[in-house]
Amino acid sequence: MKTKNYIDDFIRREKETTLNPYLSTRVMAKIERLEKLERRRTPIWQTFALAASIVAVSFLGISIGNSYVESYTPDRILNINDRHIENLSFYNLDENE
Amino acid sequence: MSDEQLIKEIISGSHAAFETLMDKYQLQVFRTVMGFVHIKEDAEEVTQDIFIKVYQSLPSFNYDSEFSTWLYRITVNMSLNSLRKNKKNRMLQSLEAIFSYRTEEKTPLEELEQAERDKRIRMAIDTLPEKQRMAFILSNYEELSQKKIAEVMNRSEGAVEQLLQRAKKNLHKKLGTP
Repeated sequence: MKTKNYIDDFIRREKETTLNPYLSTRVMAKIERLEKLERRRTPIWQTFALAASIVAVSFLGISIGNSYVESYTPDRILNINDRHIENLSFYNLDENE
Repeated sequence: MSDEQLIKEIISGSHAAFETLMDKYQLQVFRTVMGFVHIKEDAEEVTQDIFIKVYQSLPSFNYDSEFSTWLYRITVNMSLNSLRKNKKNRMLQSLEAIFSYRTEEKTPLEELEQAERDKRIRMAIDTLPEKQRMAFILSNYEELSQKKIAEVMNRSEGAVEQLLQRAKKNLHKKLGTP
């Protein structure tokens, strides 16, 4: 009988333990923090879309690069080379200054 | 406001409704957790985690049982999980609890005796088989009816009655009385 009283007394004292009055405030603050984190987190589809666009752009760049064919145009080279059109060394001579 | 209405409002994003629900049930949850962990700070920590879990799981609550039954199930499971996680820490904390135990009306010797007795009772409760402990705590800390305990534990009332009888018998055996 005594043991039963001791057990009852132990349980009664544990039941009388007071709860922190700010517990609900703490819980709400934590929930809000978790929700903010959740909102800030990038959705998985966005991550996949970004990865896919990087792959697509790289592939496109390589394809465009590969499709370039170098063409040889001798006439244009002749025109660009204006050493033949005008002799610049002429202006460097002292008597022509 | 009924639990069902509160849940609907919480799901539609009302934090105030969740605070109301918490105010309604936090003491019950805390008392049950105390039955498992016995240390106020730990019980508050677990209670906090339980309500966060409840908030996150509410959209999946399908009204198969009463909200309070569902809440007790979460409470019991999370209390047991927390005990499994903090087995080592709890050994130290229970020693601390013995040495920090103080009441005003008792002599130091009486205090020490009570602390020692409390330690033995706590250990006796903690070493009960899991199902017996669940039934014992829900019955003695929360004073739930056998029907309600049976709902929480998904067992028949007869099975709960047996669990409670065995728990009492085991406790007395562990504490050295017939």
